Amino acid sequence: MSEQAQWRAATPHALAWRRFDDEVVIYNDSTGSTHQLGALAGEIMLSLIQNPSGMDLHALVRDLTLRLELAGELDVATEVQRALDDLSELHLAARASA
Amino acid sequence: MIVSALPDGELRRLLGRSGIRLRLGPIVANIASPFDAVESALALHYAAHEVLPDSEFADFHVAVDPVPGIRRWIRPQAYFRFDANPPFNPLAASQAFPLLEWGLNWCISAHCHQYLIIHAAVVERAGRALMMPAPPGSGKSTLCAALVARGWRLLSDELTLIDVETRRIVPLPRPVSLKNESIGIITEFWPEARMSPVVHDTLKGSVAHVRPPAASVQLADQTAVLGFIVLPAFRAAEPMALTPLAKSTAFMRLVENAFNYSVLGRRGFEILADVVAASDCREFRYGGQLADAVAAFDDLALAR
Repeated sequence: MSEQAQWRAATPHALAWRRFDDEVVIYNDSTGSTHQLGALAGEIMLSLIQNPSGMDLHALVRDLTLRLELAGELDVATEVQRALDDLSELHLAARASA
Repeated sequence: MIVSALPDGELRRLLGRSGIRLRLGPIVANIASPFDAVESALALHYAAHEVLPDSEFADFHVAVDPVPGIRRWIRPQAYFRFDANPPFNPLAASQAFPLLEWGLNWCISAHCHQYLIIHAAVVERAGRALMMPAPPGSGKSTLCAALVARGWRLLSDELTLIDVETRRIVPLPRPVSLKNESIGIITEFWPEARMSPVVHDTLKGSVAHVRPPAASVQLADQTAVLGFIVLPAFRAAEPMALTPLAKSTAFMRLVENAFNYSVLGRRGFEILADVVAASDCREFRYGGQLADAVAAFDDLALAR
């Protein structure tokens, strides 16, 4: 998978979300599904919703590292990529052309 | 006029003709039935409920009638009718009153979308409502009855109605439904409770109903702000623990226990998010120590 791939919220107009402490619950009106997202996946979704034109992996990692103060041995890029794949399976995030 | 003030024989006469029109919180139900068990149970459990004249609008016209034909004599059965149609299979005639209660629950949960409806008990003390959403077997109704026995106001044992406009809890004070072991537990804990005879061999096992306190019925027009969401979990032989619960987890449990969340769609999400955000969310594990449980809930309610 190319790191240059752009990611965006799959159906931003259909999403409603609420942050509770460090987690996010999100409702997708296009599927009728509600999801409980952990801190990283929740923040990724909020980043994508706030950037409707899309973000690539580098931009997401940079944004999340700053906002969540991620550091240490955590391989942020790998974790973000894994979360994006999970969000894609949930029809919350989608890859777009660069 | 309330049911207990009806002249002798009037309840039977109404039930056997066009039905008795009862105010159940925000709902008006017109109920008809020839069964003695329904008459006696209504006289017991709905004694403090208001009887409305036929000229008043009724949200639901329901009846519990005998299944005709040979079933009148051999293993008699009863069926629930909603606008003359039976939405469910018939049950043994001995279950006529539980069938009425379950049928009314269905009427409300399937049709009253001016509320977000959660499968949850809800009680109130010191101005704030405490909701207990839970699947069967969690001890929800047992805890509800115990709290009501010790002075909490009963808002509803089974269906929590959240007004979609105001987010306030709308009372629906009806009988508390107890099952199996909880019948004996509450009989011991609350000897003064007015309980109907136990009906055995229902789909839910043995069931009995407890009359809602008259004070709760009289305050049925007073809505309440939700202050607490408590998820009970009965764990025999485990020590009691009332611990904080992540709001996101509480939110998802409410989604699972909502009857019409998907009907309301995005609006349902926003309503739930608002009430969860404004509530203190807890998980409650207990092994049946009702007195201790009530004390813990009292402390919670009075600490705010």
